[in-house]
Amino acid sequence: MKGRLLIWLAVLVLTVSLFPVLPAAHAAPQVTLNFMVWTFAVDTIQENIKRFQQRYPNINVRLTDYNWGQFPDTIVANFVGGSNAPDVLYSSDHWLQQWAAAGWIAPLDDYFPQVKEMAKSFSQYAVEGMSYKGKIYGLPYYADPMAFFYNEAIVKKAGFSLPPSTWEELLQQAKVIKEKGLVKYPIGFGFSQQEPFSIEVFISMVYSRGGNLFDKDMNPVFDRSGSATIKAIEWVRDALRAGVLDPETLQWDGVQAGNAMRAGNQVYSISRASALWSFNNPQQSKEAGNFKIALMPGSTHQTVGFVRFYAMSSQVPKRGKDALDAAWNFLNYFGGPGPDNSYPVVRRWALDFGLGFAQMPLFRDTDILLSFGKWVDVPLLQRIGQRYSKVKQGLTPWFAQWDVFTRAELQKAYLGQQSPEQTAKNMAAKWNELKRK
Amino acid sequence: MAGIQERGAAADLRLGRARARPRRAVALYPYLSILPTLLVVALISVYPLLFALDLSVHRNILTEPLAHPFVGLRNFAETFGSYYFVRALLTTLRFTAMIIVGTLAYGIAVSLFLNRPGRLAGASRIAILIPWAIPTVMAAIIWRWIFNGNYGALNALLVSIGVLPEYISWLGNPLLAQLSLVLTHIWKWGPLAAIMCLATLQVIPRDLYEAAYIDGGGGWAVFRFVTLPFLRPTILLLLILETIAGFVTFDLIYVLTGGGPADATTMLAWFAYAEIFRFLNLGKGAAIAFVIGALTLGLALIYVRLLRTEELYS
Repeated sequence: MKGRLLIWLAVLVLTVSLFPVLPAAHAAPQVTLNFMVWTFAVDTIQENIKRFQQRYPNINVRLTDYNWGQFPDTIVANFVGGSNAPDVLYSSDHWLQQWAAAGWIAPLDDYFPQVKEMAKSFSQYAVEGMSYKGKIYGLPYYADPMAFFYNEAIVKKAGFSLPPSTWEELLQQAKVIKEKGLVKYPIGFGFSQQEPFSIEVFISMVYSRGGNLFDKDMNPVFDRSGSATIKAIEWVRDALRAGVLDPETLQWDGVQAGNAMRAGNQVYSISRASALWSFNNPQQSKEAGNFKIALMPGSTHQTVGFVRFYAMSSQVPKRGKDALDAAWNFLNYFGGPGPDNSYPVVRRWALDFGLGFAQMPLFRDTDILLSFGKWVDVPLLQRIGQRYSKVKQGLTPWFAQWDVFTRAELQKAYLGQQSPEQTAKNMAAKWNELKRK
Repeated sequence: MAGIQERGAAADLRLGRARARPRRAVALYPYLSILPTLLVVALISVYPLLFALDLSVHRNILTEPLAHPFVGLRNFAETFGSYYFVRALLTTLRFTAMIIVGTLAYGIAVSLFLNRPGRLAGASRIAILIPWAIPTVMAAIIWRWIFNGNYGALNALLVSIGVLPEYISWLGNPLLAQLSLVLTHIWKWGPLAAIMCLATLQVIPRDLYEAAYIDGGGGWAVFRFVTLPFLRPTILLLLILETIAGFVTFDLIYVLTGGGPADATTMLAWFAYAEIFRFLNLGKGAAIAFVIGALTLGLALIYVRLLRTEELYS
């Protein structure tokens, strides 16, 4: 009896002692990824990370978020400093070429050949926005066209049955709304010098007038006499002088411009199309249900289509195969179809926040179509995305620098400190100076 | 006395090297004892300076990581020749002048008020320091809300008391945005000036005031001939601090205006930051930083010369 007990005890001890050893022999090594994002729905990001880590227990994701307006500066500082560089991060078509030229982010298709095949399922403008020198640097976080919004209830109250179809008509409608005392400042944009969206709003104004910024050799054409750029600047200046464009516009970011819309203090704005989700969300907006999307005013109605995406820093390949595998699992889960081909994160952003997407299979997802139908005219949104959207012209390694310079120059013109023609000349001179470098 | 020295010298000669070594060791001892500190100082301040100097004489653009040719003083020449630099310099000088006047006026006025005896004097002295104790970034965030053109407290106050007919955009107007920065700076740093002036006021002998009043001096005369001379060293110290603050102000701009609108609040420190982190031109950014350093140092030296207290009290 005693001997049998001893044998059982020995078996038990042996089993227990082997238990931690056996799984360890098969487990993948633990990898930590530093993930840097701009501040938007951080709780949801945390939850996505939690789900990802449940799926991949060997990968630990450390999240850091920075203010959207200061995001590019902060990331540049982190890359230059070196000690706090990210492994995976949000990026935008604004900054891609600058960061790639500096060698801070890595071309995904060099390390993950499957990306080339996957990119066939993305919208063309998104692929263009994530490419540099023929290489793909990201998987889409979200992609949207810039869209024109209006508060239908106030527009109707002012006696108009349709939204404006030209910029002149917009100015006219806004003046009537102001005269009738319906709203003090009917128009507002996020035109702060800190707001990266501001250049996308402005370029949309140029595109919608049938204008171009550059010729095929990347030489500026916006400084030519009577260009769409000069007309767009004149329009903003006229709107400010007429008192229909909120003067706060010059220091607002997109969120503040959106707040004015949601509070019912403003009637017209331009923002990413998915902003309409929050405008028409009763929990966030006093005027929910009244906001509509429309074609960009102007002769061509064209607008900017942009992409924000997940990028991988150049330090990941240097860390070796385990880090690369972890980064791929992360990128595929967050920006791709994921291990189950279900687009776990992209789909969630679309359903829970109305974010647009570049992953074309999701255009057939009935849940998403039903959800979008609650806050936007889906066929019109699709038409804007497919027929009227085009990538920002001038995406080069120096576009980001030119963008920052241009934001300030445009403000000087809006305020009447310099003429629109002089502004366009300054913008062109800066472009040529950066191009020469 | 001379005999003793001669005997000492003769003894040294007899001892030869054996005597010389300890002397050299004694002579070296002070230098050796401060060497660790010197090394630390060199590491944290001299090395970065030399590194920045090296950057400033090279073309160092981050999007071209493999090419950093030596360019001599070209970065400095481009900086001085730039319209945008001159504009930032003028804005900095204007801002610095305004904060010097504002902070000193606030500091002197508040310290005179706090120097009066009263039941609430102690509590007031603590309360006045609260803005100074708030981190600058937090202060800027608070003031960003206060200056909001649509629902800010400042507009609400000024409209309710009839100073303004309607809400205005404080941060969307170039001139008002500059004034907003000045106001925020004075709110944040004025209390420190007030406490420094108050400390000086409290050591002025009471009998000087009494004598002045007996001689028939009024309030202004007493302030001018008794209080102000005592305050002069403190005022000059504040002058140096505020000048440096004007030239290096960055955090307020970062949070409140981002250099806008239309570059109206772009000052030298912000200009250097933008050159490095937005235009990715490390060489030019370093050159601008040196220019800021040289300007600040030059002004500080002028003030230090003025700050000779013996001349002041004479």
